[in-house]
Order: sequence, then structure tokens, then C-alpha cells
Amino acid sequence: MVLTALVLTAAGCGSSTSPLSVTVTPIEARPAGAQEVTTLPAAGNADCDREASLRPGPQPAPGAMPPGSTMAAIAERGRLIVGVDQNTYLFGFRNPASGQLEGFDIDVAREIARSIFGDPDRIDLRVVDASQRESWLMSGQVDMVVRTYSITCDRKDKVEFSTTYFNAKQRILVVKGSGIASAADLSGKRVCAVWGTTSLSALFALDPRPTLFGVDRWTDCLVLLQQGQVDAISTDDVVLFGLAAQDPNVELVGPSMGVEPYGVGIKKENSDLVQFVNGVLDEMRADGTWERLYDARLRSLGPSPGPPTARYRD
Amino acid sequence: MSSPRTLDARASVAWLRRFARTTPGVVAVIAVAVAAGCVIAGLVCGAQLDGRIAEHNAVLDHSEPLAYAAQNLYAALSAADAAAASAFLSGGIETAPIRARYQQALADTSSALADVTAGTTDPNTRTAAAEISAQLVAYTGLVESARANNRQGFPVGSAYLREASSLMQTTLLPGAEKIYTGDLAAVDEDQRAVESLPTAGLVLLGLVLVAIGVGSVMLSGRTSRQFNLGLVVAAAAVLLVGVWIVVAIRLAAGAIEQSRTEGTARFEQLAKARILAQQARTDETLQLITRGDITAGEESFNRHIGDLGTLLDSGPSAAADAVLKWTASHRKQVEAYEGGDYPAAVAQAIGTDPGASAAQFAVVESSLHDAIEQTRTTLRDRVSAAGARLAWSPTGTLVLMVVAAAAAVVGLWPRLKEFL
Repeated sequence: MVLTALVLTAAGCGSSTSPLSVTVTPIEARPAGAQEVTTLPAAGNADCDREASLRPGPQPAPGAMPPGSTMAAIAERGRLIVGVDQNTYLFGFRNPASGQLEGFDIDVAREIARSIFGDPDRIDLRVVDASQRESWLMSGQVDMVVRTYSITCDRKDKVEFSTTYFNAKQRILVVKGSGIASAADLSGKRVCAVWGTTSLSALFALDPRPTLFGVDRWTDCLVLLQQGQVDAISTDDVVLFGLAAQDPNVELVGPSMGVEPYGVGIKKENSDLVQFVNGVLDEMRADGTWERLYDARLRSLGPSPGPPTARYRD
Repeated sequence: MSSPRTLDARASVAWLRRFARTTPGVVAVIAVAVAAGCVIAGLVCGAQLDGRIAEHNAVLDHSEPLAYAAQNLYAALSAADAAAASAFLSGGIETAPIRARYQQALADTSSALADVTAGTTDPNTRTAAAEISAQLVAYTGLVESARANNRQGFPVGSAYLREASSLMQTTLLPGAEKIYTGDLAAVDEDQRAVESLPTAGLVLLGLVLVAIGVGSVMLSGRTSRQFNLGLVVAAAAVLLVGVWIVVAIRLAAGAIEQSRTEGTARFEQLAKARILAQQARTDETLQLITRGDITAGEESFNRHIGDLGTLLDSGPSAAADAVLKWTASHRKQVEAYEGGDYPAAVAQAIGTDPGASAAQFAVVESSLHDAIEQTRTTLRDRVSAAGARLAWSPTGTLVLMVVAAAAAVVGLWPRLKEFL
């Protein structure tokens, strides 16, 4: 009897009594906040001399900030509060071994702290998401933002920028052998960028527009690329170099899709601080500090192009 | 074709009608009706009480163990997430105890997953469990990717960990919660079934009493005697059965009520507290991993800790004390973080100092775990007690009702014999 039943079950004849089997769909995890981009606030003001900043006055010595100035208030507090990144490999990232934030942006911020206090360690680094940079500056949560911050006319409506301290170029990162060689090949592909960046706006303006995914951080884009959920990432070459350094299977392709000048973002009202930072940047260009920092952090990008020339409104 | 038989049948029905109108006929009808009524009522009451006992067994053997397993699943998943975040935060090479905690949480999750589907045919539960299995595999894969990247110093590691934690918070935990709430509802349903009165049986008992009453009136009209001893005994037995059933069910309901207040309700409260503690722990660790604006993370931590504090007002005092110390340690962590002293904040969160968050959280977790085990024992004891109140009732009911039937027949036999 039992044997017969077993044989019948094995033959599939007993299926009427076996419980229904359950089925589940494959799991495709996505980074928190990842979403397809279907609308983007239209870029408004594009017509301005974006790189022109305020000319510095006489530079005060460290520890001797003019009374009543923004720098004096910072000196009074004892620490310079800077919004930075922790996920961009070469510019601002947390070294897992030391737990410290490191990178070219961080070094620039430390030079500014050195000019205020005479000590580069009197600094409080706060990690700010790309899309929060303006609001953090305007609310005064940070004194300045040094975070691969492209100077644009739109942003200049809300915050002030220092002179350019680095020129990045928007390019494309793909898996080797993907067949994508330039922006024209992105048509019909899935492309990842971070919310609130100029890169996302540039991709959105492409015609025909690729399928775009917005995420919170650039490393989320790399996760999506590694998991095969997107075909390409497009943003500033330095950010992409940082991502490529974490995965030997990806490569940068295509010519520059546009130059992105990086500046230090500062609250609009604090024009004295803008002038002071421009003064610090001038010193860095002149005394070789800029070249030293490039050599320490960015040598993997190739030979130094030299510091960008400062431009002023007057 | 069947007309002769129909004629026969008609003839016998007519004879029965005539006989039923005679005094011996009336006596015989009463005897048969009361005896049959007693046996039927006895069988129905016995079966219904048996049903109550079966429901009590269902609580003990089925629904309660499933709810317990589902609670374990939920807690183990939260523990895995908290442990993975701690391990990640501890740097490139996590310490053996931190790694062991994560592995233990995964082992607990797998055991609980097997337990939540034990003997269940409910397709919803099995689908939910299958989904959790699939998601858990994906989750551990992401955690290991995070770990591998972290060891090489690649910041993409934290993105993998964030993706893993997001998968946990948005799909795994809600899935486990669904199983858990479903199982608790099943326990409650089974508990209700134990304490409900067997209405059909009681109605039948009432009908039998009415039949005995009507029979007695008819008898006293036809015979000189006022009471028939047999019918009186039968009535007494039926009443006794009715009282027994009502009292036994009331006692069982009392025990079930205790199993609810001292068991289920408290179990639910403690389990919720345990999960809140795990989530607050994940909040405070993720704050340090994300290293950005901690406003949202702080809001989440404070909400979880606030709810936890409210729940623990009537919980184990060791846990409540530890929550206070933990919160104090968390304040120090936030102070250090906001003061820019990141290493101090990390040390406060995952360091080995017995006054710091990790140690205090461990106290909260272990005392809640012990309290849950204790409550579970109480719950099962009370349900067992409810079963004990009902233990002899099906047999007793049936025996008494057979006695009642016999008494009616034996009592009416002499009256019938007078006419034979």
C-alpha cells in the first residue's frame, strides 16, 4: 500500500493531495533612495560668468582674524565646520583603516583651517549629501562646503563660490567591453547619477534621453553598475576615477561632455569669508601647496595640469 | 411496484398512531424521546467539549510555537542587521566576538525560518517564509560584498552595507512582521475557541429538560402518580451536566484570560520591546556609517527608544535600567560626533567599555530575551491549565447523559409493564 502510494506520488498521480508549492520572484535589491528620474526641475539661470569671484583683500595672519568678521566668529568657536564627502575616493573618503576622512577636498579644507587657526586639525568635517549642499550652507549648518562642488549660475543664485580650485570634466564610466564609447551611445541605455548634481541635469538634457536612475551617493551608482542594474555612470572624471579605482572591470570612456569648475561653497552673506578663502587659494597656487596636494592625492589622474587660474569680478 | 410495501408501511404508521394515543403508547413515546434526547445531547456535548480540548492542544502544539518562532525570526533578523552594522563600523578587520554575533544571528534566523513553517499548510505563511529565505540570501551576499570592499579600503563597501540594510528594513523585517502578527492572531483565535460556550450542546440539554417536563405532566394526567422517579433522576443528571459544562468552560475561560494577560499580551509587549531595541541599535550604528546629517537617524533612534521606554514601564527592571544607561551613552556618542571627534563616537557606540552602548544594549537584549522565555512558559502553563479544567468533561458528560437515558427508561418501564 505504502509502496503503491509512493510510486503513485513519484509518478505525479498523487499530486491532487500534495500542498501547492509556493513561488517567489528573484530579489533585486536597490540602494535606498534609488529611483528612475522622470522629471527634473528645469535649469534656470545659465547666463552668468560663473567662475568670477570676489577679489581677496589683505590676508590676515593665522590666529589674528579681524574683529567682527565671520572668520573671527569661527576662531571664537574653535573649529571650522566644513561640509565634505566621504564616498568619493580621491576627493573625500573615509579611510577604513584609520577611520579618518581623506582626499583632495579635505586637504583644501584643512589648508583653510590652517590659515584661520594656524592648525589644520581645528576642523569639524560633516558629511553632506550632494543634494543638501545649498540648504546646509543657507541654514548655516556648515561654514563652507568643499565637496566636488561645481560652480553653476543656478547655484550662484543661492550661495557664493570661491575661485576655481580644480577643473573636472564630465565623462562616462562603463563596464569594459560594453560597446559604449561616447554620450551618443547612451541612447536606450540605463545611466546612473546622483540627485541634485550638474551631471544629472546634463544627462537629462541629452537627446534622445537615456533611462536615468537617481541615487543619493556616487558609490550607490557603482553598486548599481556592479549589480548590472545600470549600464553606465556619468559625472566628473575625478569622481569616476575614484569609482574606477575600486573595480578593475570598469573604464572611463568618451571625450569631455563639459568642464565642471570646483569651488568652495559659502553662504552668500559671508562675503568676507569668500574673500578670505580666495586669499588662501591664491597662496596655495603661489607657494606650491596646490602642486604638493595634487601630487599626494591625484597623481593617479595623470601629470598635474597646474592649478586653475583665479578669475575675479572686477 | 412498491405499492404493497407502501401499503404495509401505511398500515404500520396507522397502528403506531393509534398506539401512541393509548396510555402505554404515551409512556413508550416519552421513554423513547427522553432516552434518545439524552444520548444525542450527551454525544453533542461530548463532541463539543472534545473540540475545546482539541483547540487547547492546537494552541500548545501549533499556534503558540509558530508565534514563538515568528517572534524569534523577527528578532534574529533585526539582530543580524544590528550586528552587521557594528561589524562594518569596527573597521577593516572586525573582532571575533562581533563576527560571531552576526553569524549567530544568521543561524538563529535560519532555525526560526524552519520553525515558522513547521507543519503549516497556509500558503501565505509559506510564501512569506520563502520570500524571507530568498531575501536573506541576497542580504548576506550584500553584507559580504560590503565586507570585502571595506577590507580593501573601498568606500563602495558602505554603499553595499546601506543597500543591505535598506533591503532588511524595507522588505525582510516587514515580511517577518507579517508572519508574526498573523501567528499571534491565530493564537488568539484558538484561545477564543477554547473559552467559547458549547451552545448547541446546551440548547439540546435544555430541550431534553423540556421533554422531561412535558412527559412528566402528561404522565401525571394519565397515571395516579405525580412524579416518576426515573424522570426526576434523568432531569437531575441533565442539570448536573449543564452545570458541569458551564462551570468547566468558565474555569477554562479564566485560565485562558490569564494566558492572555500574563502570556500573550506580555509576550507581544516584550517582543515589541526587543525589536525596538534592535532597531534603535541599528539606528545609532548606521548614523556613524552614513556619517552625514544625523537628524533623521536621531529622530528614528529617539522614537524607538521612547517607545521602548514606555513598553518597559511594566517590563523587567534590569532592561529599563540598561536602557537609561544606554541612552546616556548614546548622548555621549552624539556629543562626540557633533564635536567632530569621530573615533570617540565610534568607541562610545561599539567599544568594549562596560558603561558604553554595546554593553548596555547587550544587557537590554539578554534581559528581554529571558523575560520572553519566562512569559512563554507562563502562557503555555495557563493554556494547559485551561485544558485540565476540561479534561474529564467529554467523558463525564457522555456517561451522565447515558445514566439519564437509562434512568428514564428504567423509571418508565414499570408504568409500561402495567399494561402488558
